[in-house]
Amino acid sequence: MFGSIKIFFIGIIATAVIGGGFYVMKLRSDNAILKANSIKMEEAITDQQELITQQKNDFKDILAANQKINELVSVLKKDLDNLDKRFNKKNRDVGKLAIAKTESIERITNGASALATRCIEIASGAELTEAEKNATKKSEINSECPSIANPKYIPY
Amino acid sequence: MLILSIFLTNCSGVKELTIFKKKVEREKLNLNTPTPLELENLKWIIITSKNAEEVFKKLEEQGIDPVLWGLTDKDFELLAKNFAQIRNQLKITNDLLDKYKEYYEPKTNEK
Repeated sequence: MFGSIKIFFIGIIATAVIGGGFYVMKLRSDNAILKANSIKMEEAITDQQELITQQKNDFKDILAANQKINELVSVLKKDLDNLDKRFNKKNRDVGKLAIAKTESIERITNGASALATRCIEIASGAELTEAEKNATKKSEINSECPSIANPKYIPY
Repeated sequence: MLILSIFLTNCSGVKELTIFKKKVEREKLNLNTPTPLELENLKWIIITSKNAEEVFKKLEEQGIDPVLWGLTDKDFELLAKNFAQIRNQLKITNDLLDKYKEYYEPKTNEK
């Protein structure tokens, strides 16, 4: 009788010790997983921060590209306005001028036509010549489209 | 007790977090840039009621058919402006393409 009770208690104690052992092992295992999870979470946060930084840089690039295009549209409009001025400056009548000074207007027209042709080549992607790149004076520039043909020219 | 402790330790466990990452870069379009235009220069001839005969005579002397396509001074002005607008549009479109290429296909691997 006493022996049976003893064995019963020893069994209970052994079970408790084994169960406790399992529980501790499980806790250790959980702890290791939690540490790994924590590292992964930190990595994920770093990735997100990198993404946010990248997005900020993208927005800067987008703004810069928009600004460049707007500037281009603006200077091209100036070229167009200048062309209009050349035809109509101070109520100028090109027709009457051509009748009065046929040869000189013909020469001017052909000169301007050649420059305008070159402008289309440049607009289509042609490389600028050294003379075009370095032109700074009115006498050196392509008067039809200085904004795209003569980057160093500042109107005066 | 043993079964209970095993049951408790296995059912309430912390699951390992798994984060999937798969980044596949899109292939670059890499279309060839169109060849810039190389245009021919054309010659304008101004004809008035005074010089018309002389102009046609010169053409015949040069072996050119004595025929001309004409524009009034106003239409010539419009033609010049139309060409200027086409040129501007061409420039803007080309620059837009360049900007798109710079943005989506940068030379360095920053993106």
